[in-house]
Amino acid sequence: MDPTSLVSNMWHQHQQQFPPVGLPPGLVARGDASVEGSIVTDQSAGSRGANARRRRRAEVAPPASEDESSKLVSTSSGNDLTDSEAKRIKVLKSNEENANTLKVEAEADSEPDNKPSEQNAASPEPPKQDYIHVRARRGQATDSHSLAERARREKISERMKILQDLVPGCNKVIGKASVLDEIINYIQALQRQVEFLSMKLEAVNTHMNGTGIEGGFPSKDFGAQTYNPAPSLAFEPQSSREYNQNSAPEWLHMQVGGAFERVT
Amino acid sequence: MNRKNYTHPNPNPNYTSNNSMQSLHFIQALARINRAASKPTTPSCRTKQIRHAAYSSMAYTSGSRRKWSRALLIRLRQRQRLRARRLLTVRRRVRIVTPAMSLPEEPARAETLRRLVPGGRSMEYCNLLEEAADYVQCLRTQVQLMQSLVDAFSS
Repeated sequence: MDPTSLVSNMWHQHQQQFPPVGLPPGLVARGDASVEGSIVTDQSAGSRGANARRRRRAEVAPPASEDESSKLVSTSSGNDLTDSEAKRIKVLKSNEENANTLKVEAEADSEPDNKPSEQNAASPEPPKQDYIHVRARRGQATDSHSLAERARREKISERMKILQDLVPGCNKVIGKASVLDEIINYIQALQRQVEFLSMKLEAVNTHMNGTGIEGGFPSKDFGAQTYNPAPSLAFEPQSSREYNQNSAPEWLHMQVGGAFERVT
Repeated sequence: MNRKNYTHPNPNPNYTSNNSMQSLHFIQALARINRAASKPTTPSCRTKQIRHAAYSSMAYTSGSRRKWSRALLIRLRQRQRLRARRLLTVRRRVRIVTPAMSLPEEPARAETLRRLVPGGRSMEYCNLLEEAADYVQCLRTQVQLMQSLVDAFSS
């Protein structure tokens, strides 16, 4: 719907319902006639004329018609309404001097009536400001330091969550300090286990060396076809890759359960 | 035997291949140690060698992307260099480590965690947790690998 026609319709209804009381009838008639003329002759000037007319309607309207006009506005279609309202605010602010010609006569007596309409127009704006500070909930500080600190704390707790998932038996523990304790214990246990296992490996290896098997790796674990017991050829890259692709997952899984029961 | 599946977002993009890469590194290192074992060495020395091999294979697998692996490799190389020079009067170099900002909310146990994770002294607390997660993963893989090797040998 064309905002100009909408407003002119509204204006005519309004005039029929509430004849102007605060102003001499000749003034209103003159303003109306001049605006109609501008609409007919020049389409581009229509918005200006409509603006002036809107302005005048707000000025001329008696206080009793305030809620009536708002009802009209609220029952109209939404998009046109917001467009026209936004345009009205903008044009009101920028084209003040353009609209002055019609406004000047009525300005003296209608200053208090002017304000409510502006407030009505500006009412959709305050809710927008609430969306700027998204992260600050009620009662939280909103300066940049607090925001950064909050983001950092969120990151820390997220990482803590990842660690908690990694360490077995850590999900049941409540409290940051005890979770850290669990993690520390787990790392210590793993490091001790590496030490212990390297001792064991050494013992096994020397044992194997003592029995005369060079290399120390029984071939059945890696596949007899890929393993060459001669030390210089023991880890030919091709065979190693094959072994890694084919048989690594199975024997890596072999002892997982036992290791973890011991650790935890 | 059931394997526990931990569903966590792995920071390492190619972790599945790293499992096997880590075992490859470690087994190669073991083979090197075994080859060098013809010289008479004390068992404790070899144990240390194997342990170093384990840690360095972990660090190699993780690459230079992680700070803990860089710190670990640097530490191991420094030790190797010292051993190669056979410096009898090794004075420990005073390392200048800028201590991380200690924030009031940081728990007291974080200091212990810093000591456990290689290179953790200079890390920020947030980074420390991330590195610790990666380190735990690698360490666990290493333990699994060594355990399975021991079982394979002793059987």
